[in-house]
Amino acid sequence: MNAIEIHDLHKVFEGFSLKDVSFSVPQGTVMGFVGENGAGKSTTIKCMLNLLKKEYGEILLFGQDHVEHELSIKTDIGVVFDDLHVPETLNATQLDKIMKKVFKTWDTGYYFERLAQFNVPKRKKIKELSRGMRMKLSIALALAHHPKLLILDEPTSGLDPIIRDDILDLFLEFMQDETHSILFSSHITSDLEKIADYITLIHNGEILLSESKDALLYDYGIFKGNSEEVNELPEHAILRKRHGAFGVEALVLKNEVNEAFRLEKPSIEDIMLFYVKGSV
Amino acid sequence: MVGLIVKDLMTIQRQMKAQAFVVLFLLAMAIFMQQSAMLLAVIVFIVTIQAITALAYDEQSSWDKYANTLPISKGDIILSKYILSVLLMIIGLIVALPIIFFINLFTNHGDTTEFFLTFNLIVAFALSLLAILLPIYIKFGSIKGRIVLIALCFIPGFLFGMFNEYIPDMAVTFLNLKPFIYVAPFAGLLMLWLSSLISTVIYKRKEF
Repeated sequence: MNAIEIHDLHKVFEGFSLKDVSFSVPQGTVMGFVGENGAGKSTTIKCMLNLLKKEYGEILLFGQDHVEHELSIKTDIGVVFDDLHVPETLNATQLDKIMKKVFKTWDTGYYFERLAQFNVPKRKKIKELSRGMRMKLSIALALAHHPKLLILDEPTSGLDPIIRDDILDLFLEFMQDETHSILFSSHITSDLEKIADYITLIHNGEILLSESKDALLYDYGIFKGNSEEVNELPEHAILRKRHGAFGVEALVLKNEVNEAFRLEKPSIEDIMLFYVKGSV
Repeated sequence: MVGLIVKDLMTIQRQMKAQAFVVLFLLAMAIFMQQSAMLLAVIVFIVTIQAITALAYDEQSSWDKYANTLPISKGDIILSKYILSVLLMIIGLIVALPIIFFINLFTNHGDTTEFFLTFNLIVAFALSLLAILLPIYIKFGSIKGRIVLIALCFIPGFLFGMFNEYIPDMAVTFLNLKPFIYVAPFAGLLMLWLSSLISTVIYKRKEF
């Protein structure tokens, strides 16, 4: 079963639109959702959560329509935005008391364990917490009702590598249960390389690719050379080309290229740059 | 929904404590001026209007973006604000009434019927004010809401000034209305209920 299924999602704003966005996240996997700022990642996520109303298209979470079964779906998801959106005069202990009334499955013990693990002060007001602390609190809030699906919108942006590593470990721990799934939007591609099983790339409101991470990293290769050398590559093997100051780079399908060509292993960032800035 | 009300009460807790000092000052003034009705009006308004403060805190932190990821319906989110405001009004009355009876006991303003009329008017006015303010703040947010509010205050004044000669004597009108004052709080509650329906429609159309 798919935890998330999106078909032909369409949403229009002035100056920007999501165009027929389609992808799915199989249950038990982590989907990395990449794209530059303003590519449409947050808009897609907000449409999924019904924070924005879609023009047309179909969004299924746990196989159910996201508007028709909104409340039952929302009992099983945890959401983390790029900041903690709760009134700043509250503290972590007060949030526990509030959430206990919101979720039947709220686990106070687990919540305070995570806060202790992250050294988040229990009684300090949110406005007095650092950005890193706020994000850790936000993640503890998203996990403490034991959701089946985490929807993360840039949860690690603006955080230092140490905190990011702690947070990624927690997500990996969450994925120990094979019924759990994560949609992880980020432009920090190194984070996704660590935990994602699939990568979906969005650019200008359109999905450019949605594939398994291993296929991207092991089936693709980068050839660097001058224009003549690139012209010798079989045309059907070339996915994207980029012209730079020192020649031409080509993203190619590794298996379609003769071993005589020396290929470099691409990173997710390389692939993203080829798709966004390169040409066919 | 209980969670939302608890959250709002926690959020405005500090604000309420700060307002307690204002109330103490007014209490001294009311005793000095022997004006218990004024004290009642001020306490009820200060406490009731905290529902608007709660909305402002929500807006500042983009709470609605988060609240709508939780298993709470949009209708309940709005209803919680209305229940909160009525709850605050009841708290205001519980705080104010013993003080007022105490003041009345020691002053000459012991006329219960007269006081009951004033009480009804104040409660009805506070409920109507909420019925008008809440949809405006939910629709426009606290900054634009304030502008709309000021405009709304000026328009009736302006119209009143324009058509003054066509309007019958106010004192006479009020005297005629006196029997209806007993039902005024119920009319206020009805307005608040209608207002909550309007706010829910507005909120359901909103995007976050």
